[in-house]
Amino acid sequence: MTGPRLAAGGPVIPNFGHGTACLRHNHWFCPSWVREHWGDILQPALLQHLELTAIAVGIGFGIAFLLALVGFRWRFADPPLGAVTDLLYTIPSLALFQLLVPVTGLTVTTIEVALVSYTLFVLYRNIVAGLRAVPAEVLEAARGMGLTRAQTFLRVELPLAAPAILAGVRVATVSTISIATVAALVISYGLGAPIFEALQQPDIFRTELLSAGALAILLALAADTVLALLQRTLTPWSRL
Amino acid sequence: MLLASLFVDAFRFIPHHAGLLLNKTGELAELAFAALGIALLIALPLGLWLGHRHRGLFLALGVSSLGRALPSIAVIGLGIAVLGVGFWNNTVALVVLAIPPILTNAYFAVEGADRDAVEAARGMGLTEAQILVRVELPLGLPLVLAGLRIATVFVIATATIAGIAGGGGLGEVMTNQPTYGLPGVLAAALCVSALALVTAGVLALGQRAAFRRMAPSA
Amino acid sequence: MVRKHMRRAAKAAFAVSFGVALLIGITACGSAKKSGVAGEQKTISSKPAIILGTKNFGEEYILGQLYGQALQAKGFKVSFKGSFGSSELADVAIRHGKMNFYPEYTGVIALDLAKAKTPPKSADQTYSIAKTYEASHGLTLLNPTPFYDSDTFTMLTKTAHKLGVKTIADMKGKPFSYAALPECDKRITCILGFKTIYHLTHIKFVPIGTISVYTLLDQKKATSGDGFSTDPQQLQHSKYTALTDTKHIFGFQNVAPVLSKKLLKGAAGKLLVKTCNAVSSKLTLAAMQAMNKAYVVDKATPKQIADGFLKANGLK
Repeated sequence: MTGPRLAAGGPVIPNFGHGTACLRHNHWFCPSWVREHWGDILQPALLQHLELTAIAVGIGFGIAFLLALVGFRWRFADPPLGAVTDLLYTIPSLALFQLLVPVTGLTVTTIEVALVSYTLFVLYRNIVAGLRAVPAEVLEAARGMGLTRAQTFLRVELPLAAPAILAGVRVATVSTISIATVAALVISYGLGAPIFEALQQPDIFRTELLSAGALAILLALAADTVLALLQRTLTPWSRL
Repeated sequence: MLLASLFVDAFRFIPHHAGLLLNKTGELAELAFAALGIALLIALPLGLWLGHRHRGLFLALGVSSLGRALPSIAVIGLGIAVLGVGFWNNTVALVVLAIPPILTNAYFAVEGADRDAVEAARGMGLTEAQILVRVELPLGLPLVLAGLRIATVFVIATATIAGIAGGGGLGEVMTNQPTYGLPGVLAAALCVSALALVTAGVLALGQRAAFRRMAPSA
Repeated sequence: MVRKHMRRAAKAAFAVSFGVALLIGITACGSAKKSGVAGEQKTISSKPAIILGTKNFGEEYILGQLYGQALQAKGFKVSFKGSFGSSELADVAIRHGKMNFYPEYTGVIALDLAKAKTPPKSADQTYSIAKTYEASHGLTLLNPTPFYDSDTFTMLTKTAHKLGVKTIADMKGKPFSYAALPECDKRITCILGFKTIYHLTHIKFVPIGTISVYTLLDQKKATSGDGFSTDPQQLQHSKYTALTDTKHIFGFQNVAPVLSKKLLKGAAGKLLVKTCNAVSSKLTLAAMQAMNKAYVVDKATPKQIADGFLKANGLK
């Protein structure tokens, strides 16, 4: 090629080092790889995943709570709101992540918008159901005590609905952790990124697939346990 | 604005590629229903039996939270690593993902059946199997069907991920944005939603019918 | 009773917010630590920020790290944006300013993005078509690498012997399946070229998502597939064979960084061009094959590989 190329000496090709036999033969699990790449691959991905989930569930809870207030206060609004959250839930994540790219770009926002819309399904249903399940006699008693509508809501309905609401938060958190791995197909962020990278390699890089997959599961189980403990501490009257 | 024009393009895409979309929807349905069928065969008897014996609460709860925690991508990836690329790696992965909601709901449907009714049946001399089939199952049917409905919506949506693993179906269209463009991706997504909603709708009708049947006795 | 609940609810609210705050705190620490590492590189404010993206496969990850780390060593602020999918997506992303730098193959630009009517006859011609295309979108192309990585029509050597084929033209009249990335179906450098230029008719296209072509060939899920000439597997002639492309549809695929013209301004722009060209000039076929092998076989990370190569060549 006579084009605009710099005249140059040949490159020095360094010895990149041999992978261990375990890696070269792509065994199921090579602990040395996990140790070596905990700091530069696995831990950052885990923290990113935690961040994605915490933000998605936080924002999703805020939106679902407002929607649930509307659906609870005005019964006629409940079926359409429920249907919208249902519909959002049926959009395959694989498509939603791509469809959002022209709107929100290749940013974390894209992932968050999709994740938030998936949390609404579980959260909305649980919040409304929890509020509805408050027995009429209790409300009657509250009214008898002279509580206003707002007071009744804050002091009676909300605390009594708390177990159902928190149960919803648990389910939403665990499923968000699972769905967030798909986002890496579009944007390499979170634990999905090492999973996809492993899938792309010839014969599939098993150690990376298994370690990142296991971290996603452990994160979900840990989050579930923490939330279950929280649920117990917050609502001891509803101990199951 | 952008989204609106995207929807217009997607609705134009559908008639132009009707054959492709139908074909891929068929592939997806085949994969999803095969997986659901197998999952049903495994999880339903197990859940019903455990619920009937009032045993394995821990298993039922554990399976349900573990099931939600499994990242579908990793499960499908593992399927490829173990079984190679093809129909079975995806089917097995989807079966694994479909079992938890079916099992858990079946368990709680039977476990929570009215104990007085069960005792009365036992007093009438019904065998354990008869109690399960004639008393507990009819009482718990709505919950069993609810579990199946959750599993169905989940499996249909997740079966699209099989597209990245050579599984065909609508996921193949969704992962092929360079060829079909975003309207194609959206059109495929709409087909998936339609399939999920129609299937869930049919199951909801069944659930309602079951509810009505049990209403007089409840 | 209600009062007690109320107090509990207040406690609960506090506990929840505390938990969330803690979670965000941990996460923030995590990311702060990460940016701290990037911050160690001395950053000069007059230098433009580089948003570097890549396409979604191993060689691109390595190329991204090579250019990115070399620029960081010269004090540029580089944010690695990860992968942007196919060339078409990357093209849209860079034209809309979602990134301003990515390594691309000249032949892909000329044939698939610029849609040149006839396949260019030489690497130079390919480069100039590609450069004209990028220039028309406010972008430019730096010097190409000496190595080229073209698609190859790859099959198991066993299969090639059985079919008795050496060139792509030999496949005429034979039914076969061809595994490649989804976009291959409509590309002149791929299925479309087999049909219109080689007149192969019985092709079953097997689109692959994230699964390697070699996995599919090994598992006999496809007769043949789209490999890259720099893949380490291409060195195992006893196992894999690439059919000769007598009509040059695969084109000339040298790599060149595509970047926004805005990055070229002033002294910083000159330094950027010099740095990237110095990296490109060292990327020979042997170098690229060695780096791909380190990634695929020895499972080194793109970051480690680029670091090793740049240091060995005095570029970092």
